[in-house]
Amino acid sequence: MLINSVIIVLREVLEAALIVSILLAQGQVLSLPRVYFMLPVMVGAILAVVYASNIVAVSALMGGVGQEIVNTVLHGLIVICTMVLIGAIKKPQAKLIIIIAGAGCLATAMVRELAEIIIYINGFASVPSLLSSVLAGSFIGAGIGFSIGVFFYYLIVAMRPINGLRLSLVMLSLICAGMVSQAIQFLMQADLIPSHAPLWDTSAWVSEHSIMGQLLFALVGYEATPTATQATGYGLALLLAFILAIQKPRCDDVARPKGVK
Amino acid sequence: MRILLVVALLLSCGRIMAMPSIEIIIRNHLFYPSELTIAADTKVKLIIVNQDASAEEFESYELNREKVIPGHSKGIVFVGPLAPGTYPFFGEFFPKTAQGHIIVK
Repeated sequence: MLINSVIIVLREVLEAALIVSILLAQGQVLSLPRVYFMLPVMVGAILAVVYASNIVAVSALMGGVGQEIVNTVLHGLIVICTMVLIGAIKKPQAKLIIIIAGAGCLATAMVRELAEIIIYINGFASVPSLLSSVLAGSFIGAGIGFSIGVFFYYLIVAMRPINGLRLSLVMLSLICAGMVSQAIQFLMQADLIPSHAPLWDTSAWVSEHSIMGQLLFALVGYEATPTATQATGYGLALLLAFILAIQKPRCDDVARPKGVK
Repeated sequence: MRILLVVALLLSCGRIMAMPSIEIIIRNHLFYPSELTIAADTKVKLIIVNQDASAEEFESYELNREKVIPGHSKGIVFVGPLAPGTYPFFGEFFPKTAQGHIIVK
């Protein structure tokens, strides 16, 4: 149970930790106060408790697929905020947009990932014999996830700003594409869009059961057996992120020297 | 426009009503039945009833499905249409005991 808890919590924490570390690092580069990013993390944590507390009611919504709808909305919000962030992050004058999009991204990611951890741990409150190993495993999993987040934070901060920005944009784009793929999966699971046979199967190379598969899932949204809809959504999200990332700031976005009109 | 919407809704309802459904019970962190057989190229509605006090997550990498089923509640997961084969599923929170598979013929 200990190892299982480590893996479950690590997988959930890792996605959120990566988003938090990238945004904190870029906030540091742009000299934004950390409160702009820590506040939404706290708001997200509170909302995660509310979501987890009402999971039974949420699950029963819309003929029993309420959970899929809420998860799709959460993933959609993360995707929108991340895309806005990718488009604005190179523009010095767009600090307000960066703060709002970053806050939205952080709060939503916290709700999505933390709620599942709360549901998981809370489930063992009725199994006292397993609770201690679940708590220990969760603590270790969260610790590893936070450590990887801290590693990426210092990696981005230590790099030359342009390279740190490039790494951040690549990671945000991949996380965003993975979220699109997951959202499509939830819609298929709820029978709101047609489900098809997988386009390919790479489980023989990297199984989603494996540690590598779990890490790749968190880092790049790895799916061993994606459907054509998921692969298309993933590709389109990457393409859109790429287009937004290579956009050059407009002349009026670039800070002018004082006194120049 | 309204008529079209009503027709679409009725067609959708008819499609769902005609869809085969199978109930899976989670009890003592085990799936009952743990082996299901369904027809190939058919969409199936799985009604997963968790009779345990603790939550469970129905998960299958092969089916691309994951859903938290809170304690003493039920959840619905649609699977298929699937090609013939065996598709394992498991309870992510109790993976050692909660295991099963769907045989598609």
